[in-house]
Parts: sequence; structure tokens; C-alpha cells
Amino acid sequence: MTAPAATSRRNFLNAGWRLGATILAAAAGWTLFESLRPLAGSGKGGPIKLANTGNYAAGTATYVPEGRLFVANTGTTLLAISQKCPHLGCRVPFCDSSGRFECPCHGSVFDIGGEWIEGPSPVGMTQYPISTDGDAVVVDTSKQIAGPARGAAQYFSPPKGPNCQPKG
Amino acid sequence: MADNESDPRKPAPQGATAVVPTEAPTRDPLEPAVAYAPGSGMVARIERSRAWRSVFRHPRIETPRGRALQGFSNFFLHVYPIKIPARVLRLRYSFRLGFIAAVLFGILTLTGVYLMFFYTPSVGSAYGDMQVIRTGVGFGQLIRNVHRWSAHLMVLVLFLHLIRVFYAGAYKKPREFNWVIGVILLLLTLALSFTGYLLPWDQLSYWAVTVGTNLVHYVPVIGNTLQDLLIGGPQIGQPTLLRFYALHVAVLPIAVVVALSIHIWRVRKDGFAVERSAVGTSGAFAEEATALPAAAVPASAPAELYGGRTRVLGVVDRESVTAEERAVDDTVFSWPHLIVRHVVVALGVATVVLALGVLFAAPLRGLANPNLTPEPAKAPWYFAGLQELLSHFDPLVAGILVPMGAVLTLVLLPYIDRNPSTIARQRKVAIVIFSGLVVLAVVLTIVGTFFRGPGWQFVAPWTHWYVEL
Repeated sequence: MTAPAATSRRNFLNAGWRLGATILAAAAGWTLFESLRPLAGSGKGGPIKLANTGNYAAGTATYVPEGRLFVANTGTTLLAISQKCPHLGCRVPFCDSSGRFECPCHGSVFDIGGEWIEGPSPVGMTQYPISTDGDAVVVDTSKQIAGPARGAAQYFSPPKGPNCQPKG
Repeated sequence: MADNESDPRKPAPQGATAVVPTEAPTRDPLEPAVAYAPGSGMVARIERSRAWRSVFRHPRIETPRGRALQGFSNFFLHVYPIKIPARVLRLRYSFRLGFIAAVLFGILTLTGVYLMFFYTPSVGSAYGDMQVIRTGVGFGQLIRNVHRWSAHLMVLVLFLHLIRVFYAGAYKKPREFNWVIGVILLLLTLALSFTGYLLPWDQLSYWAVTVGTNLVHYVPVIGNTLQDLLIGGPQIGQPTLLRFYALHVAVLPIAVVVALSIHIWRVRKDGFAVERSAVGTSGAFAEEATALPAAAVPASAPAELYGGRTRVLGVVDRESVTAEERAVDDTVFSWPHLIVRHVVVALGVATVVLALGVLFAAPLRGLANPNLTPEPAKAPWYFAGLQELLSHFDPLVAGILVPMGAVLTLVLLPYIDRNPSTIARQRKVAIVIFSGLVVLAVVLTIVGTFFRGPGWQFVAPWTHWYVEL
């Protein structure tokens, strides 16, 4: 056998091995990725039927533990606001005395509509679609609505009283 | 391993009969001038026995050649070079930081395996298991404390190791890639520490990991997918605990063992660092004894090979390169000189973590509660600097660009810094930039760890103590 022919066969086989190994690695990687991805729809929520609209007083935010959210009555509208801080995921409690959401981790503050007022959060708080079924409030936790961008001040009002979180 | 001319396992030339020790030998075939396990006591008889010789391939002979052969034929001793330059023995050569980190990894493995016997990675039982470890398992609390403090110390020691290697310029050619492996080991250690942080399933771990994993969410384009892969669901829960557990006890430790093996192997293959000036390589040695007379260096040899560094001596290097050309032999045997020092350091490290474990209990707060964020919610201390940065800048900048940039810069450092000199006066720019970054990182970490309270407000540690380790 002549040298060039042997070389080209070797090159062909080497290329074949490399191609095969690449395909195998890609297939293994994709399989691993697919198997580690959370199952579709698992734990993503769904519609929750809550109390009647009249139970949510204006200027308050009521915690709904089963949905990990607040139902906030801004005075003009009802909003379902996720408890999760859009900054780094801490739970943001509603401060009754100031009438605002105040995050304990990094000091982000949001108004009763979940709009950003101060702190490191890049946006306002995430919301869920809210509707009524008869008199009852229904929140669909499977669909998230991205929080309002910084600068939104539709529901802004001066603080009602002292903050719950200390100020520096 | 080099061929040995006197190896008795090879067929002897010119019809001589091969030495096959069927009976208990009285002389070591490789060193016939020395008695094989002399004496008639019980120990010597055992050491001459066939079974013993099947385990230990070479007898304990206190001659240079005997020690070398012992080192070659013993797996554990073979991790060490047979001989090392004497200056490596000095404490200030490396402060033994890499070795200390390896000892801590060993302690973490032992204590971690012990804890695994009593821990179930389940949301329902993890916290209860932690309480049982504290109260109902023999030495459980102590072992957990030692595990915790060793983990913190390992991160600290690796940071110091990195800083030491930088100032010594030991990342420069030909050790560039070993520096990269070192950075990978540091990242693996941080990942080990972070995944272990979640396992107690208390408020501290739950919220520290919540904050930590939400950082990933800011990675452009693939952030959400990455976060999903990491925590396995919309919020931290059972899939997260199981994933972190698998990473903590199997995936990451195996990765560390592989990377650490390459790291140590490369230390031997790339040679120990010596001081080297930018201009020429002669006359810039810190060690006079390693300087070779100019005539001894073959004219054709690249200056770097002989003048630039000291090779760690294997058989081939020792015989073919250095033995004849080296004017003064400044090397000493690893056993006992280095190994005895290592044993002392290892005992010292064990003493320190044991003392810490006896004196300070690892924290265990209340059961993880997704509906109650504790105040303050702090990331582990080695991420506290990052968290401090996050309170000042946009998350994309502080959470992703800065840490990714820092890691990338560290990885590329030996390739960016082309200056061959390791002398401080000749690398002022690199030292000033690096020192500035180190000071910045230390200040941010100290402020984030000690000076921040509820709502991330500034708090003086002497008035309120919000430090959790």
C-alpha cells in the first residue's frame, strides 16, 4: 500500500472517531440537560380561588400563603403580587405602618402596587393575572406578569407612617 | 521510571544466572552491600517474610539509594519527588498553603463521610437529621463543627495560596496552566462550600442559597434555564436539596480529586519556582547553590531549561541532566525531610480545626421557612463581598459582569502578563493592580460580613453582631 493512501485512510478514520465522539458527547449532554430540567408544569401553579373582593380593604395587602403572594388593594384596583423580591428572591413582607413592601435582604422598597421606589431591585414586583368568579377573587399563579419598570408611579403615595425596615 | 542497569528482574547478560530470591534474602538484590532487614527479632523476620515482601516492594534501607528505591516502589511515597531542592523546605518558600488546603480537603472528606451516615437529603427529614447529629450521634456535633470550620478555612487558605503564588510570580512560564488548574480548584471549592451550605435545611442555609441562586438568574439569555437546572423547580425545594447533595458528596469531590492530582503532578513536572529576572537568567538566582557554572551548561541548551528553573528530579532528569552538570548538589531527600514537615503541618492543621470545633459550634437556625425571610439574609461570607457590591450596583454588573470578569482575568493572568520577571521591582504594574483588587475584595467582604444588618443597613459590629458563618 502506498503511503498517501494509508495516510488518507487513517485521516478518514480519525475524523470518523472525532465526529462520532462529538455526536456522542452532544447526545449525552443533551440527555443530561433534558433529564435535569424541571418537569414541564411541575410546581408552576394554577388558578387559586380566594375570598370575596370585599375582604380586601383599600390600602392593604393581604398575604395568601397558598399562592405565596399578596392581594393588594391599591384603592382603585386589586393586584396579585408575588412575594418574591425581583432583586435576589427574598420574601418581601408588606409593612402595614408605611403601606409599602420592604425587602429585608437588600433594602428594596416598593409601593402598594409593587412599583419600585428605592433599593437595588432592577424592576417592580412580579404580578399574576387576577380576575373574579362571581364575587370571589381568582389568581392564576401559572402565568407571571413581569413587574413594572423602574419609574412607574401609578400607585405611588407618600409613606403612611414609619418604615418597618431600619433606614441607614 | 528509568531502566535500572542492576535490575535483577531483567535477564542477566552473558549467561549469568538471574538472582531469584526464593528464600528469605539476607541481602537486598538491588543494593547487595546492605543487609536486607538485618537482625533476628520478630520485626526483621516479618520484614523478610515472603508475604511482607509481596506488599512492600523494597526493604527499608537507610542509604540514599535505598530511600530512592523505596520512593519509586511505594505508591504513597511516589506522590512525592525522591529529592527536592533544600530551599523548598523553608516555611517562607510557600508557607505550605497548598498542602494545608489539601489536608483540609482530607479532613473534610473524612468528616463528611461520617456525617453522610446520619443524613438524608430530604426536605422532610434533613433538618431533623441535623438535630439528631447534634444531640444523638456520637461526636456528631464535634464532627459537624470540624467539617464546617475546615470548609471555611479551606476557602480562606486557598485565597491566601492564590495571593502567595501571585506575589512569588510562580504562575509564569512554564507554570501557566497549573495556575489555571488552581483557579478551577478554587471555584470547585467555592461550589463545594456553597452546595454544602444548603444541606442543614435551616433558615440560614435556605435564604443564603436563595440569594445565591437568584444571582444566576441575571446571566443574559440563559439565566432562567441555568437557574432551573440548578434548583430544579420554581423555588428551592426537594429537587434543589437532592441536586446540591449529589453535587456536594459525589460530583464536586471527584472533580476536586482529579484537578488536585493534576495540580500536584504539574508542580512536579513544571518544576519549583525560582526567582528570575527579566534580563537574562544567570545571576538572578536567589539560591547560589542552584546556580550552575557557565561552562557546565551545554552551548546548545536553551537557557530556560537549565538556567531558568530547577527541575524536580526524577531518575532520568537526575542522571541525564543535572547530576553531572550541577556544581553543588543542594537537593535533599523528600523522605524524611519534607514528609516529616508535612506530617507536622498536618497535625497542626488537625489541631487547629479540632480546637475550633470544640470552642465554636456550627450554627443551626430554625427549620427552613420559605415564607419568612430572616433579617438580615446574608450569603456565606465568601460571597458577602459580592452581596455588598450588589447593594450598590445593578445586578447584571455586580452579580455577573464583575465576578465573571474576575474569574476570567484570573484564568488569563499568566497569558496576559508576558513579563518573565518574578522580581517585585520589575513587575510594579501587575503588583499594584492585583494588590488593589485584593484590598477591594477584602474590604467588600469585611463590610458585607461584619458591617451589615437588617435591610442591609450599615451596622457597627461592636454594637450589633450579625455575623453568621
